[in-house]
Amino acid sequence: MSTADCEQQETGWGILEDLPGDPMIWVLIFSELVAFGLFLGAFTVARAVHPAVFAAGQAVLDSNLAGLNTVVLVTSGWAAARATRAARTSEKRASRWWLLTAMALGGLFIAIKLAEYAEEIDRGIGLETSPFFTLYFLLTGFHLLHVCLGIVILAVVCRRAEASGVETGAAFWHMVDLVWIVMFPILYLMR
Amino acid sequence: MTDRLDITWIALIGLALATILVPQLVPRPLPGNALLLTFAALKGRRIALDFMDLRAAPALWRGLVSAWILIVVLFAWLASAVIALI
Repeated sequence: MSTADCEQQETGWGILEDLPGDPMIWVLIFSELVAFGLFLGAFTVARAVHPAVFAAGQAVLDSNLAGLNTVVLVTSGWAAARATRAARTSEKRASRWWLLTAMALGGLFIAIKLAEYAEEIDRGIGLETSPFFTLYFLLTGFHLLHVCLGIVILAVVCRRAEASGVETGAAFWHMVDLVWIVMFPILYLMR
Repeated sequence: MTDRLDITWIALIGLALATILVPQLVPRPLPGNALLLTFAALKGRRIALDFMDLRAAPALWRGLVSAWILIVVLFAWLASAVIALI
């Protein structure tokens, strides 16, 4: 076996190589999906145990702002998908433009979420107000950290705008989008 | 010509707006929650297939992400059904 064969065998990602972008990002994505899934499961169980407390907490939330944030994040995901397509056809300028759009919309998501937090904190609501708000702040805060991290990753891949890098950044960004899509109705709208 | 990415984006925006309206249009918890979570599952699947590009990936990966979406929404709906029925 040649040295090149050995190196290929050592760095091979097997079936993960069939996914777009760096296989390592998919290891991270699947780990994050498991973590968020468990977190949402814990929220669901806690609601079943304290239905009245959760209904009272949910009534205070601004579901219109969260709904607006869904539209913002979905549009950002679309821009990231367009950036990936442009990068694959070596249209680096277009890819960078779409990535910047995705990042700007990610920034808008953060601004809206922080405005929502400010409104809640103004009403005297905090982490220890009730089990609902403990889980609400932890879940949305954890997600918000991922939005921030996603923007950093998109900014890093934007510099070179190469297909593999953009695919990697966009894949993480779509995971953040996917988690919010499932989290939004569970936290804000379900009764 | 509108392509798949644009169609998916329009579908996601439409479903997001419909989701916001569900609590007013369907006030009963059981069918309302079922509708909310169905919309969430549909949106999640479109994101996985078209934005994450899993449509062209092996079925294993599509299946894993779809299973994640289904497990989370089904668990949430079953728990809400238990609350409503108790």
